[in-house]
Amino acid sequence: MSLSSNTKAILLLTSPLQVGRTTPQYEILTQGEYKRLAQFLQREGLQPADLLSEGAQSTLQKAKEIVDPIRLQSLLGRGFQLSQAVEHWQARAIWVVSRADAEYPRRIKSRLKDNAPAIFYGCGSRMLLDSGGLAVVGSRHVDETLIHYTENIGRLAAQSSVTIISGGARGIDQAAMRGALENGGRVIGVLADSLELAALNRENRNFLLDDQLVLLSPYDPSAGFHVGTAMARNKLIYAFSDAALVVNSDLHKGGTWAGATEQLEKLHLAPVYVRDGEKASPGLSALRQKGALIWPEPQTKEELQDLLTMQQTPESRLAEPAEVAISVHEEAGEEYHPANQGITVLRLKSLGQGKEDGAGYRLILGKMSGSALPRTAAEIAAELGLPAKEAKKCLEQLVRENLLRKKGRPAKYFPAEQEFSF
Amino acid sequence: MTNYYPQRALTLLRLGTGDPEAVFREGQEEAIRHVYEGRGRLLIVQKTGWGKSFVYFIATKMLRETGMGPALLISPLLSLMRNQIAAAARMGVQAQTINSDNETEWETVEAAIHRNEVDILLISPERLANIRFQNKVLAGISGRISLLVIDEAHCISDWGHDFRPHYRMIERILRTLPRNLRLLATTATANNRVTEDLKDVLGPNLLASRGDLNRPSLALQTIRLPGQAERLAWLAEQVPSLPGHGIIYTLTVRDAIQVAEWLKSCRIAVQHYTSESEDREELEQALLRNQVKALVATTALGMGFDKPDLAFVIHYQSPGSVVAYYQQVGRAGRALPAAYGILLSGSEESEIIDYFIESAFPTREEVLSVLEALERSSDGLSIPDLMGQVNLSMGRIEKTLLLLSLESPAPVVKQGSKWQLTAARLNESFWQRAERLTRLRYHEKKQMQDYIKLEFGHMGYLIQALDGDLTHLTPPPLPILPRTVNPLFIQKAIDFLRRTNLPIEPRKKWPAGGLRRYGLKGPIPLELQAEPGRALSVYGDAGWGGMVYQGKYKLHRFPDELVTACIRMLEEWNPDPAPAWVTCIPSLRHPDLVPDFARRLAAALALPFQPVLIKDEERPEQKQMANSVQQARNIDGALGLANQIVPSTSVLLVDDMVDSRWTMTVAAWLLRSHGSGRVFPLALSLAGKG
Repeated sequence: MSLSSNTKAILLLTSPLQVGRTTPQYEILTQGEYKRLAQFLQREGLQPADLLSEGAQSTLQKAKEIVDPIRLQSLLGRGFQLSQAVEHWQARAIWVVSRADAEYPRRIKSRLKDNAPAIFYGCGSRMLLDSGGLAVVGSRHVDETLIHYTENIGRLAAQSSVTIISGGARGIDQAAMRGALENGGRVIGVLADSLELAALNRENRNFLLDDQLVLLSPYDPSAGFHVGTAMARNKLIYAFSDAALVVNSDLHKGGTWAGATEQLEKLHLAPVYVRDGEKASPGLSALRQKGALIWPEPQTKEELQDLLTMQQTPESRLAEPAEVAISVHEEAGEEYHPANQGITVLRLKSLGQGKEDGAGYRLILGKMSGSALPRTAAEIAAELGLPAKEAKKCLEQLVRENLLRKKGRPAKYFPAEQEFSF
Repeated sequence: MTNYYPQRALTLLRLGTGDPEAVFREGQEEAIRHVYEGRGRLLIVQKTGWGKSFVYFIATKMLRETGMGPALLISPLLSLMRNQIAAAARMGVQAQTINSDNETEWETVEAAIHRNEVDILLISPERLANIRFQNKVLAGISGRISLLVIDEAHCISDWGHDFRPHYRMIERILRTLPRNLRLLATTATANNRVTEDLKDVLGPNLLASRGDLNRPSLALQTIRLPGQAERLAWLAEQVPSLPGHGIIYTLTVRDAIQVAEWLKSCRIAVQHYTSESEDREELEQALLRNQVKALVATTALGMGFDKPDLAFVIHYQSPGSVVAYYQQVGRAGRALPAAYGILLSGSEESEIIDYFIESAFPTREEVLSVLEALERSSDGLSIPDLMGQVNLSMGRIEKTLLLLSLESPAPVVKQGSKWQLTAARLNESFWQRAERLTRLRYHEKKQMQDYIKLEFGHMGYLIQALDGDLTHLTPPPLPILPRTVNPLFIQKAIDFLRRTNLPIEPRKKWPAGGLRRYGLKGPIPLELQAEPGRALSVYGDAGWGGMVYQGKYKLHRFPDELVTACIRMLEEWNPDPAPAWVTCIPSLRHPDLVPDFARRLAAALALPFQPVLIKDEERPEQKQMANSVQQARNIDGALGLANQIVPSTSVLLVDDMVDSRWTMTVAAWLLRSHGSGRVFPLALSLAGKG
């Protein structure tokens, strides 16, 4: 595994780099601190790797409002410890990706944006990570009937070629994962702790080797269990999925409750279903009240697949604006990438109509779709054959509309989705 | 970062050398400044004696004076660093080491490290990979390491001709290190290919100053003398008349001891020096002070040993590569106008070199059997566990696991005392690399064979092979030495080889897992153990070993000379209490061979011969059993007593070959537990590698 300089820098800033129990604690950056530092770097036209270069000192001074430079210096000086930690992980088939890497799971980046974890540690094939699928969550302490029920869900998912996503905890999580794996299905396990132990676990080995299972965690592989991290991890399970099923939940407490309510009230990353039936608990009823849908108990693979297709990510659900986007792209002569359009598509529809310079907007947005490279106003004007002043005006408007962002001097423009490149 | 002060660096140099007028050699100060200022990675290619250690000691001191953390130096040659550590102390640099030679000091050193009193820690690559060391020592400081120094950096390159497996791990570490961590790599050996490889790993910013390879003071010569006796004779004849003091290199420990014993018996003042020697520092001092004529050494006396007036380097057997030879012979004549570099080539070296080459990597079958055994276990296996399940020697098992664990990702990992499989498969690239390196080593062996055939032009050949510059080539400064040997000396050498006999140490405990059929496990009670025994020869050697081989496989009878030789050996050995009867190890495969010999030996000693031991069942030959546990199992239940009445006096227990000693151990136990006196094993040959 070769790490980019950006990933090395991000690890130095955010990872405990723990090997064994005697590593002293360093004050690594919190998620919020890293987010602010990343935004600062972008504004300066820099990347995390620049913090490792000879001019880093002055950059650190400039960032002192965000993080104490001495603290940053001390974190960045852990280069040897980094190499030891990477060696330790590699020996156990554990890989690392950062937000700066192309391999970083795209779903997480586009849905969580700069709240996406800076680092993922994992084991197993990364190809599974963009497959979408059905998240299955629930408590650790459940009776045999619910275990069987959940295993059956896993089996159905396997038969339907639907990936199961869960948290790897005892009880419901493991039942769903087991049910899928033992029936040839695929599973993404998002772990809140102990990735290293899971990677070495005999029971997981063959599934990992055969590309049926991928385990990942935003936490250090040797980290133990903490209630806080388990809770924070829950949104990732939803983010990987197209739909989520809560098999059971406590009321007003517990990780399952917290994760489900976070989705229903705030994040809306995936539609949340709850199990209905004789064993419906107060927790599940309360989730119903908050907007969770009733799990329709699909029995065949067609029923399950339909359920999930219906619940495709909001972005790709929109057929109509896509047609507008197609015409724009045909004009610009580019290929259509639905996955990259996102909100741009919606706004495009509104913008394109009723504005005299709609054509200019359409042209520019066409040029700036998906993974377009940042360009200056002058470059865009030249490429599209537009007058420079007009191009600049459109670009600034699009920035105000949050469709584009700009950074650096001279200012370069790029699509909003691409903002968080690290 | 505080500014660089040239005056401070010079002061430190003068303190370290103890010379108030000292000045930096060309390139030294630039290197120190480069490292101190963190200007990027640096590779120094300079021969021993240029002062590489001053670069890193001074840079370390200056970094520490700004409050930075300690430096870490990784080198495979720690035992030769003593002079450098002393120089560091003069500069006020606290240099400490943790290695297998100073285990009694570890706690003190570890405490000093934790108190931030150690400026630079010197360790070997194996130590770096050691889990206990990582947890107890490294974890506490790895976040503050300010400078990493990699010594013998050519080991990183496949073309560095020095295949130390742990350098694969070091290569990975170097690739992972962020560019803001100061890194200095040093080596004395780097041809073009090696330098290219190092640039690939370390990055393009290299300060690679290479000294001139030509050694005007060295007179090189090669002499082919296939037989050991001839080479021993040549040494005995020539060494006393060579001026000055030097080193005689051998390929194996056994050869080093034997050559030293031979020369001592010719009244030449030498000592042997191997990795197993306990007093290495004293031996080095003895040579430095010219108190011995020569040290007879294996490669344990390696890079870093610097005797400027070393007058000769003689090789008893050829090493496997030009680079190894150049390094070893290059120790001579550093500060002398003329010195000898003589290579004696013999017939056994090819087999020894082949053995080193073939055993460097495990075979596919070996790897498969280890991986399969681990797959079958539910929570991993320790090395003793594996020895019970897999027919491989402990050394092969350890080597296989080591090489597999150094892959990335690794298919096996050690957790606690057990090895486990990981969620990664062994990549085919492992085998491709093994094949590539093996081919490379055979190519190097051939290069040396061509060198040996040269009548003249030796220095030019070596320089060319090392991508050096031939323009300043000079002719040899000394006349050649004679290629012929006095026959009297040859006979004396043969007699010597025939006289040396080798001890057979008694085993003191049963193997792991015990011998089930006999119901034996744990330690062997003293009164049931064998006494220390003797073997007449090493199987196939130039003493009696050749005749033993002839007797066993060609004549199917051991010649009477061997009886006479055993009598002479017994006279010297003088076992006490003297054996009153003779018995032997039975064989179903060759039922008469050994008993016939033992009967003749008994007759010559005027002692009764009583074949009381019998073989109950046919078993595969012991030599097919690859490790001692397997060999023990192979004998379990196979030996018994013909009748239960055994004479109560001491006995000579005769066999033709001894390898793992389990057969002798079980036989002795049987005899003793049925009332015999002390049992003295006597074998014609020791089998197995030296």
